[in-house]
This record gives sequence, C-alpha cells and structure tokens, in this order.
Amino acid sequence: MLRIARLYIALVLVFLYLPIVVMAAMGFNASPLYALPFEFSTRWYQDLAGNDRLIEAGWNSIWLAVLTSVLATVFGTLAALALWRRSFRGRNLLRILLLPPIAIPWLITGTAMLVFFFWTGIGRGLHAMLIGHVALAIPYVVLVVGTGLQTMRADLEEAAMSLGSTPVHAFFRVTLPLLLPSIVGAALFAFAVSLDQFVISYFLSVPGMTTLPVEIYSAIRKGFTPEINAISTILLVASMIIILGFARFARPGGLGDSR
Amino acid sequence: MPAEAGAAGAPATTRFRPPPWLATAALLLPSYAWLTLAVLLPLGTMFAFSFLEATPLGNRPVEWTLRHYRAFHDQPYLLGVAWTSLSIGLWTTAICAVVGFATALALVRATAGRSRETLLILLLLPFWTNGLVRVFSWTMVIRGGGFLDVAARSVWPDAPSLGFLYTQPAIVLGLVHGYLPYMVLTCYIALLAIDDAVIEAAMSLGARWPTILFRILVPLAMPGLVTGAILIFVPVIGAFMEPRILGGRVGVTMGTVIEDQFTQAFNWPLGSALAFTMLAVVLGVFATFSGVLRRTAQA
Amino acid sequence: MLKLSRRRMLTLTGSGLVALAGSRHLVRPARAAGRITVLNWQGYGTDERWAVEAFTEATGIEVVHDYFNSEAEMLTKLRTNPGVYDVVLINSARSQQAAGEGLLMPVDLANYPNAEGLAPSLRENEYLKTDGELYGVAWVWGMNSLAIRDGMEAPTSYAALAAPEFRNKVALFDDAVTMVGLGALLSGQDMNDPSDMAAVVEKLKEMKPNVRLLWSSEDQWNKAFSAGEFDLSIYWSGAAVRSQKTFDLPLQFVVPEEGAIGWLDSFSIPATSQNPDEAAQFIDYMIDPGFYTKWAIEVGAPASANAAAMEALPEDNLIRQIHDPEYLETMTLMAPLPDDRRETFNNAWQEVKAFYAS
Repeated sequence: MLRIARLYIALVLVFLYLPIVVMAAMGFNASPLYALPFEFSTRWYQDLAGNDRLIEAGWNSIWLAVLTSVLATVFGTLAALALWRRSFRGRNLLRILLLPPIAIPWLITGTAMLVFFFWTGIGRGLHAMLIGHVALAIPYVVLVVGTGLQTMRADLEEAAMSLGSTPVHAFFRVTLPLLLPSIVGAALFAFAVSLDQFVISYFLSVPGMTTLPVEIYSAIRKGFTPEINAISTILLVASMIIILGFARFARPGGLGDSR
Repeated sequence: MPAEAGAAGAPATTRFRPPPWLATAALLLPSYAWLTLAVLLPLGTMFAFSFLEATPLGNRPVEWTLRHYRAFHDQPYLLGVAWTSLSIGLWTTAICAVVGFATALALVRATAGRSRETLLILLLLPFWTNGLVRVFSWTMVIRGGGFLDVAARSVWPDAPSLGFLYTQPAIVLGLVHGYLPYMVLTCYIALLAIDDAVIEAAMSLGARWPTILFRILVPLAMPGLVTGAILIFVPVIGAFMEPRILGGRVGVTMGTVIEDQFTQAFNWPLGSALAFTMLAVVLGVFATFSGVLRRTAQA
Repeated sequence: MLKLSRRRMLTLTGSGLVALAGSRHLVRPARAAGRITVLNWQGYGTDERWAVEAFTEATGIEVVHDYFNSEAEMLTKLRTNPGVYDVVLINSARSQQAAGEGLLMPVDLANYPNAEGLAPSLRENEYLKTDGELYGVAWVWGMNSLAIRDGMEAPTSYAALAAPEFRNKVALFDDAVTMVGLGALLSGQDMNDPSDMAAVVEKLKEMKPNVRLLWSSEDQWNKAFSAGEFDLSIYWSGAAVRSQKTFDLPLQFVVPEEGAIGWLDSFSIPATSQNPDEAAQFIDYMIDPGFYTKWAIEVGAPASANAAAMEALPEDNLIRQIHDPEYLETMTLMAPLPDDRRETFNNAWQEVKAFYAS
C-alpha cells in the first residue's frame, strides 16, 4: 500500500514536470521555432545574458511577488480568522465577495483597474501593480487559510483560553502553530499568483518598467524566442534550490505535520 | 484576538478587552479595504458599464440599455459556447478533485517529516513557472509527431499518432496541469487535520478501506475539496489562454468570447455583461452545490 | 521557521517600501524634452535596437516604448494616459475614431521632409483624414491574403479555403474584420459593407471541415506551420516575408483573383504629447528610406508607404516582389467601421467560430 502511494506521487510529479522539462530542454535547442530534431545550443543563454530588459523584468517580477505574498498573506490570514472564527451579520456576503476577483477574467479586471486607477489618480507603475496583485492574491489566501481553520479544532483554543490564556496568547501559542501549514501554503500560492500574473501587470505597467510575464505576453505577437525558456528555467531552478534548501535546513514542521 | 495587540504578542496580564465587533472589524479591515479599492470598485464600474449602449470612453453619449444581458437570447449560439465552457470546467474540476485528493492522501499517509515537505514543495513548484510557457510546452508534447509520439515510437516503431492537440481533451489537460496544485494543497491541509486515532478506531472495528475513505476521509476533508473546487472551477470557466492555444478550432469558450469583446470588438458592455452573467451562473452552481452538500450532511 | 520568516518579512517589507518610494520617479510620464515614448506593437520596426540607437545618436532624443496587443487596447491606453505618449501607431481603419475623439494632433506634412516620397494614394489617404484635416503620416502597408506551403499549386481563389483537398489543413486569422471581409469577397460583396451578412456567414461556415486552427499571432502561425499543422492560411504579407527570411519556412504568398484585403499603418502624435517636435523627427526618421531598407533587408517588414524607400530595395527583394505597387490600386483597404457595423461583424465571426467548435 505504501509503495503504491509513493509510486502514485511519483507519477503525478512526472505529469506535473513533463512540460517543465520540455520547457527547459527547448531553452537548449538551437531552433528559434522550437522545431525538432533537437540540436544542442547555448545560444539562448548567451542572448539572455545580453538582454538587460528581460533580466530587469525578471527582478521586478521577483520583488513584486515577494511583496505581494507577504502583504496578502498577513491581510488574508487576519480576514480568514474573522470569517471562520467569529460570527457576525453579513459574514456570508463577505465570503461571496471573495469570488468576483477569482471568477471575472483577469482581462476585465485589468481593464477595469486601468480605467479606475486613471480616474482616481493612482495611475500606473510598480505601485499600481502591487495594489492589483495583492488584491488578487487576498481571496486565494483567505480561502486557503479558511480551509485550514475549518478543519482545525477550535476547541483547542477554547481550552487554552479556559486555562487562563488571553485570546492573543492563545492565538500565538495554539492557533498559529496549528495553522502554519495553511499559512505557508497560502503564501506560496500568493507568490505564484503574482509571479504568473500577466494581464493586470500588462495594463498597469509603465513603459520601461515591466515584469517578466508582461515581457512574455507582449512578445506573443512577434514571437517569443527560447530566451524566454532560458530565463524561466533559471528562475525555476533558483527558486527550487532556495526553497528546498530552506526546507532542508530550517527547523522541520513548517509545512509538515504539526498536529 | 484583537489585531492591534497582536504585533507584540501581548502579555497575559492585558486587561483591556475591546468589544468583539471592533476586533472583528479590525481583522477584516485591511483585506476588505484593499479588495474594495483595487478590485471591487473597479469591477463595480465595469458592472455599471454593462448597462451602457457602447463603451463609455471618448465622446459618445451615455445611453442605458439592458440589451447586452439579452445576448444569450439574441445570439443563441452562445448557449452552445456556455455549455462547452461548463463541461470543460466540470471535467477539469472532477479530474483535479480525484487526482489531487489521492495525491494529498498519499502524501499525508505514506510520507512523513522532511521528505513530505520536500514532496509537497515539488508538487507546488511547477506553479511558479509562467502559465503561457507551460501551455506552450504542452503543444510540443501532444502535437502529432511531438514528444508523445516520439516516445511512443521509440517503444513501438509503428505506433499510430497519439497526438491530440486542438481537441477538447487537450484543453482539459492543460487546465488540469495548471490548476491541480490548488486541489493538492487544499486537500492536504484538510487531511492533515484528521486525527490518526479516528482511522485506527475505524480499522479496529473492522472497517475496510472503501468505508474509511468514503465515510471518514472524504467527509472530513470536504472543506478542502470544496475550496479546491472553487479555486479551480471558478477561474477555469473564464480561462482563455488554454482554449486558444490548445484548442485550435474547438477552442471557443466563454473566456475567449469575452476576451474578444475586450480586444477585438471593443465592446466592453457586452464583454462585462457576459462576464457577470457567468459569475451569476457560477455562484448559482455553488449555491445549489452547497445546499445539496448540507442536506446530505444532515441526512 | 516562524522566527526566520518573521525576520525575513521585516527586511522584505522594508526594502519593498524603499523600492516603492524609489519607483515614484519612474511612474511620472517622460516630460523632459529629449525623451519620447512610442506606443506600438512589440517588434514592429520602431523598437529595433540599432534604429533607436542611430536615432538617439543623430538627434540626442531618447526613445522609450510601450506596447499594445490589440487596437482596442491602444485606444484605451491613449485615453487613460494623457501626456504619456508622443508617437502612436494607428491603423488607418482606426484613425478617424481616434481623431474624432480628440486624441490626436493634426499633422503638417511640411514638417516631414521624407513625406515627399510617400505614394500619393497613401499620403493623402481619406482614411487618415477627419473633417478634411490630416491626422496621420502613412508608414507601411500590407495585405492579408493567402499563404500556401511550397510545392503546392497556388490557388486562384479564396474558395480554396473550403476545397476538399485541404481538409483539416487550413488556418484562419482570428480577426472579425478580416474574416468577414473574406466572406464578403467570396460572396461577391463590398468587403467593408456587405449587405447580405447571411451569405458571408454561409461562405465562412463552409470552411469548417478544413479549419484546423485559428491563429492570432505571427509567432503562433510560425510555430504551427513549421510543425506541419496546416498548409494553407490567411496570412499577413509582411509576416510572410519574415517567415521565409528569418525562419526559412517553405511558403508562398499568393493574391487570388478576388484581390487582397489591404491595410495601412500610420503614425500619429497624441493631442496631449509634451514633445510634438521630437515626435515629428522620429516619425520622419521612420519613413526615411535609409531606415526602411535596413529594416526590410535585415529584419523583414511590410511595404513602405514611401515609394522612394521601396525603390531603394534591391530588385530581387522578397518584400518588393510581393508588394507590387499595382496592388495599391487593386486591393481594398480596410475602412473605418461605424460601431454598429463593427458589432455586426464581431457577432457574425463569433457565430462562425462557435459553429467551427461545435
């Protein structure tokens, strides 16, 4: 049984990584049209090294994703606590209000933001992108942390409080450690939402100050070259090393079992 | 747990207890103020636009109309498009639910400690690559003569082409790949909270694994499944990149129709009317769904 | 882990705030003289690195780019960013709409020394004029017509798109105006104002068994064509040159008897531009034969509206061969469409697409 389960996880990983491996491989293929047969070349990595615009866009993306992830996780977790640990009137309405940002296609949200930010004087630029990204990421965080809260036993907090803890104390000693896997998961998602967000960034970026997905999206018409594969591969491998390194050397228990 | 005291991890001797509503408001305020400013108000503006005769920028006179909400009536082919989108959404969600739940279960039951953390991160990491690049890579795998065919023919040289690019299954494949991590994570969070003792008790009472699965694990993990379903079904209905790139001729969905209204037709009112109709349908589906769930839970 | 991430969080937020404060000066539009912002499709001539460098060197004017992915988006960006842009690329079918909204400045061709060489039918094109006043400088033109894989017989009519020998081997351009125009040409109607929409839709629906793919970008076209997904397609003339030259794709560009669907791209100066003089210099550089021949020969381009520039190309140049000046007389230029007609076109094309997908 154990062996079957592990084999299954391995199969799912193969499925998830198949296109990623293709992406990485094509970064080393000489053909600009991604044509087969495969012909090894580091040409795209050399091109990339001279493409300041793409590299700068890559850095912008990372900064934006980190900030988005931090802000959205903090705010979203607080809201989830209210929505799933406290009862008040209008709670269901507030939960439903989380859905429009997810359901309405980003293209519409992006257009709406562009027009609205123009009217209100927020304008465009990295600050506008940050505002947009955080807003898009919050519903994901609230829902993921909310799931954690729903399945977590509230009686532990109550027990702690009945033993004389203040709510704040109970939160930091009992709730937070139990909720940590959900919060870390939510943060990873917020990061992904921001990193992959092209439509809204595209509308809200200013000339000369873009993010990587925007560069990719704008390049569609002309055609994106394997340089895009190269930088995507570098980004992925770098984040893999950082995250796995973090998981390896940090105190265990963050994402894992914290029952 | 008042937010304003939260930062310092206030000592247990704090006497000040703010009224509960104030604490609730303080917890909600940052998120909802941000959401209102950045998403809800702009979308509200778009909602208002959907009742206009034409896109309201420039010097056109403002004329109100309901006609864009009659689109499904005036252009009946849209019903077919809506049905395609719904079925793509349902297939994607169902496949993600089965595969994702099983993955989460395998993670929680068959791995532990550091290797589990590592595996979970590995499952979520593909999400950090650009969606466009990922979808594009799929086209190279599943097109006739692509990697799938090359692999098949290396085993059996006369294999017929397995390529299925530009079909509905291709769209579903791309969407499942993009959204599976949501389901894995939400189910994982839910399954993690289930006490081993419950399962051990059931087993000692002689319960077989299907009983444990369907009577204990699935119901207890239901919040995770539901959240996962929301996070997948809702955006998939409006997806336009995957249908366009993987669907070829059959890639016409509500997402692409709406996108066309914004990029080609410059008909924002119709585009947003369609989007808000879609939102209403999605909310309706979930209202019915959660009603059914509640009733079965009570039964 | 918690402790670590809390400390990290503080550092990150701190540096984020610094970044935010720093980004303030980047948000402001470029008002300083000596810097202009161009709004164009990406990779469409103006942003060639060598061209921008040469222009900056010659004039001291710095060039920044912003891009759009659809014409609707270009108009939205113009409207919501007053003062940001100095040069904008506008298709002649959209020029009157933009000028009518007061988004553009009238142009005086006397400020453009190179305008003298412009083909007369394009220089004073009626679509570039609003209320008798000129709002755009004609830049390049091209045709939407057929591209067929080398070695196959060149079709003489668009009807080939529905012919049984191309079953599952056709790609269409996912663009309502082009496709409705095509249906109109096939049913013998005025491409810009077909009276019998039912016949147009009928003609397009006949292509269903042949249609493999609806392409929306040159990149998508190139990759699918090189993978052998289709043999016959509606394609852009300029892109056809690039596909052959840059990517060695085996294709032939054909204009059948119904004539090509023509288009004209022009440059305009937004009414709110802070640097109209510098903008004019840049536009003049763009219609300069020197720039054009280099762009056309080294990169691949549509046909220049500047007849002098076309003549500066070598005789055997593919662009020159494909864009025979006589087509300027025979092709039908895409006309500005009133809103209701545009909506009719879009609905018809959506209906056809839904039919293809069903």
